[in-house]
Amino acid sequence: MRLSLSAVEWHSGSWKFDADGVFTPGIHLISGRVGSGKTTLALLSSRLLRPDAGRVEYDGIGSRTLSFQHPEYHVTGSTLGEEAGSYGVDPSAACVRAGLAGREGEDPFRLSRGELKRFQLACILMRTWDLIILDEPFSALDCQGKLAICQSIQENRSSIVLVITHEQHILPRTDYLWEMRSGRLFGLGSLPGALSLWESAPGSVRMLREQGITPANLTRDDLMEAVCMMHG
Amino acid sequence: MIEIKDLRFRALTIPSLMIFDGTTAVIGENGSGKTTLLRLLAGLFRPESGSVKVDGVNPVPGTTGFVDEYPDRNVLFSQVADELAAPLRFRHIPCSEVDCRVKEAAATIGFGDRLNQTMDTLSGGEHVLIALLSALITCPETLVLDEFDSHLDYDSLQLADALIAGSGARTVIRCTQNMELAARCDKIVVLHHGAVLHEGRPEEVFSELEPGCCYPLSWRARR
Repeated sequence: MRLSLSAVEWHSGSWKFDADGVFTPGIHLISGRVGSGKTTLALLSSRLLRPDAGRVEYDGIGSRTLSFQHPEYHVTGSTLGEEAGSYGVDPSAACVRAGLAGREGEDPFRLSRGELKRFQLACILMRTWDLIILDEPFSALDCQGKLAICQSIQENRSSIVLVITHEQHILPRTDYLWEMRSGRLFGLGSLPGALSLWESAPGSVRMLREQGITPANLTRDDLMEAVCMMHG
Repeated sequence: MIEIKDLRFRALTIPSLMIFDGTTAVIGENGSGKTTLLRLLAGLFRPESGSVKVDGVNPVPGTTGFVDEYPDRNVLFSQVADELAAPLRFRHIPCSEVDCRVKEAAATIGFGDRLNQTMDTLSGGEHVLIALLSALITCPETLVLDEFDSHLDYDSLQLADALIAGSGARTVIRCTQNMELAARCDKIVVLHHGAVLHEGRPEEVFSELEPGCCYPLSWRARR
């Protein structure tokens, strides 16, 4: 199973996106400066956007999903129950998983943004997908919510999971690191080696690099372990 | 200075809270009432009972610089230039001065040559940078920032923080889930189920929250 982007180009005015890359099962973390093309990559990879040139090919991928950066873009139902139903998941179970037990009758827009994000991610991750694309899944989540989503992401390691994020502190165990730089996709490689090449690294990784320490991976436990190494 | 007394609004109940000049972080789990509190501080909501006073008077929308957590909700106009100019035009600032200040502001985030771009072509992070500039362009005394940082990468966040620090705002209240940012503020207010659970200097508040997942990693590193 694999997702291939072959000489993909997309243009918006004078801005150009281009990407070559192959995504296989595992967790792929993609970061980059604001406006570097991360969401464009998500839309092209999910085939919601058609490239101006090149090909986006699915090999063995039967099901796919995309979680938008803004959870409010997903809302189609007037209650959480209806909303869960639109994803084909059990409303009660979705509410429990999102920490909103018993609130199936509530209007999604009465939730806080973080609660809505948790609910929308719960609905997506309760099903099995071959290709999962998560655009800023940690935005608006509290730290417990981020840890829970990391756990859910790691449970889907047999799928192709693209995690596009600016998150600075709580990240999933990552198999492969990518970076968008001014519209171009760069594959940095597997961890921990790729960490030294990461231009848009979060503050925690920068802090460790400045001390000459490379964490084994990006989970909170990995970063804590690396901090312990700072103290010998 | 902001003074809250006997405040009740929806699920939020705050008998007493003082926020002094400087930077205050409002933190707490999802649904704890952070956005509701910030909207009250910005004058976008009125208390059902009790009072919120900013420098002794009720906050008035438009006088406080405000950035919404939903990037799209900050947008009024279709073009970057109009979005930045709007707060100045609403104050009847002369057109020549508006143009000058818009160009200066745009240049600070590298948007000098993108003023004619339409807002719908910007990324989520670019949206919040423009929203921040719009909030700063009138040089407000009070800034209320609702978790805009979650849309920004590390370097853009450093840039945004420099703009805020250089804005001259006396009181900055920012909601965040980034505990490293909260740790750099003068004061932290922790909300829990619509009430203030802790308040104080970062050292005091994080000592109460340890060893939870929100304890700043950089503080563990300096031990």
